[in-house]
Amino acid sequence: MSGKVFVITSGKGGVGKTTTSANLGMALAAQGRSVALVDADFGLRNLDLLLGLENRIVYNILDVLNGECRLDQALVRDKRQPKLALLPAAQTRDKNSITPAQTRDITSQLAESFEYVLVDCPAGIEQGFKNAIAGAQKAIVVTTPEVSAVRDADRVIGLLEAAGIKDTELIVNRLRPQMVKENNMMSVEDVLEILAIKLLGVVPEDEKVIVTTNRGDPIVLSETPPPAGQAFLNIARRLQGEHVPLMNLEGPPPGLWDRLLSLIRGTK
Amino acid sequence: MQTLPLEQQVTFKGSSEGLRLLLPPDLSWEEVMQQLQQRLDAGERLWSGGFRVILECQDRLTDAPQLEQVAQLLTSYQLTLGKVTTSRRQTAVAAAVAGLNVEQQTPAVPVLMPWAEPLYLQQTVRSGVLVKHPATVIILGDVNPGAEVHARGDIMVWGKLRGLAHAGSDGNDRALIFALHLAPMQLRIAEYLARAPEGAPSDRPEVAYVRDENIHIALAADFRMARGRS
Repeated sequence: MSGKVFVITSGKGGVGKTTTSANLGMALAAQGRSVALVDADFGLRNLDLLLGLENRIVYNILDVLNGECRLDQALVRDKRQPKLALLPAAQTRDKNSITPAQTRDITSQLAESFEYVLVDCPAGIEQGFKNAIAGAQKAIVVTTPEVSAVRDADRVIGLLEAAGIKDTELIVNRLRPQMVKENNMMSVEDVLEILAIKLLGVVPEDEKVIVTTNRGDPIVLSETPPPAGQAFLNIARRLQGEHVPLMNLEGPPPGLWDRLLSLIRGTK
Repeated sequence: MQTLPLEQQVTFKGSSEGLRLLLPPDLSWEEVMQQLQQRLDAGERLWSGGFRVILECQDRLTDAPQLEQVAQLLTSYQLTLGKVTTSRRQTAVAAAVAGLNVEQQTPAVPVLMPWAEPLYLQQTVRSGVLVKHPATVIILGDVNPGAEVHARGDIMVWGKLRGLAHAGSDGNDRALIFALHLAPMQLRIAEYLARAPEGAPSDRPEVAYVRDENIHIALAADFRMARGRS
C-alpha cells in the first residue's frame, strides 16, 4: 500500500496547526481510514497532549532513527480510534537532531502501512520546517484571517513551491463570521485573494475547541460536533476526494418577513 | 516596427562594462543607421544617463566616417562611444584614426548576456521572495505584500502589485512601474520613494513615474497625456 503524505503547516505559530492535525487525523480515522500522525515539532511537542496520549509515549522518532526500537514500537495507538497512530517527536532534542532525508525515509515507511500520513509542522521556516515538508506530496496550509498569519502563509506557500510541493490547499481557521460582517475581520475571500490557492475548508472560531484541546479530546469526537468539529469532519471528507459544500457560517438567510420589512423600510 | 531575424538586427545588450551595441555583418550601412536610430528612439528612456557604449562591429568592415557617424548619433542621446571592438584589422585602424578606444578580437561568437534581456515571470511573487534583475521585469501574476521586485528597467505587473517595487534601480528616473492593480506597500523609482497612496486604489491599470522629483501615479489610459512626449 502506498498512502498519502500530507504536511500541515502555517509559518506563523498559534494559528491552529496542531489542533488541525489532531482533528483531521481523528476525523479521517473515524471515517474508517488508517492514519499516522507525525509530530515534527522537536523540542516543543504538543500533538500528544491534544490527543490525550502523552502518558503512553515510550519511544519517539529519534529512537527509531537511532535503531533503538522498530518504527511500529514507537507508534502510539490511539485508545479511542484504533485506526489512528501517533509518532511522537523527541521533546528533549532540537530541530537539528534530524535531517530532511530521515523524515522522508520515515514518512515513506509509514505510507506503506497507513492510508494517510499527516505531518504536524513546527512554526517558522527554518530547519524544523524543512524537515517536516520533506517527503510530503501535499501541504495543508493553515491560516487565521489576520494580516500577519496570511503574510506568513504566503511566504510558506512560496517556500513549498520552491521545494517542489505545488499541491497546497488552504484551511482558514478561527473565522468569526460576525466580525467579518462588521468589516472588522478579513473574509475568506480576502484571504484567498492574496494566497490564491485552493480552499480546503473554513473552521469557525469556537470556544469548545479550547476546552476539548485542554482535555486531550479532539472536538471531532463530540457526540454532536459543534460547527468547528463539523468543519474538520467535512475537511477530512474533502481530503478523501468527496465533494462537500462549505458550511454556511453566516446563520440562516433572512426569511420572507425580514425581507418584506426591509422592502418597506427601503433598505436592502 | 518590422521584425527581422536577429542576425539582421542592430541590438543593444547590457553588460557590466557598459551597453554593448552589436552591428549585424550583412546589412547596408543605411539600414544599420536607420535601425540604430529606431532602437535609440524606442529604448532611449532605459539608458539615459551617460551610459558608456561598446560598439561591437564583429566581422563588419566599418570605416572612419561611419564610426564618426555612430559616435555622433550616440552623443545626441547622451551616450558616449567608449570602445570599439572588431575582428577586422581595417576597422581597428579606422577606429584608432578616429581617436577611439579599440580592441581587436579574433573572430568569435559573441557571448550573449542573458540577464540583460527582460525577465518574464509567470507566477505569483509571494511574501519573502526577492526578484532582482538588471533590466526590465515583466510579471504575469500578483506581487504580494512582503515581496520585492527590483529592476534596472521598468516593472510591469499584469496583476495586483501589493509588495515593494523598485524600477530604475541603478538611478534611471525615467523608469516606469505599471500594474493592472496598483496597491503597493512602497514604490521606488531611481532614488525616489513613495508610500502606498491613501484610500482605496483604483481598480484600473495605473502607471507610476517620476516628474519634478516626485513619484506620480496616472491611469494607464491617461498616461501618455499626463507624461507628454517631451
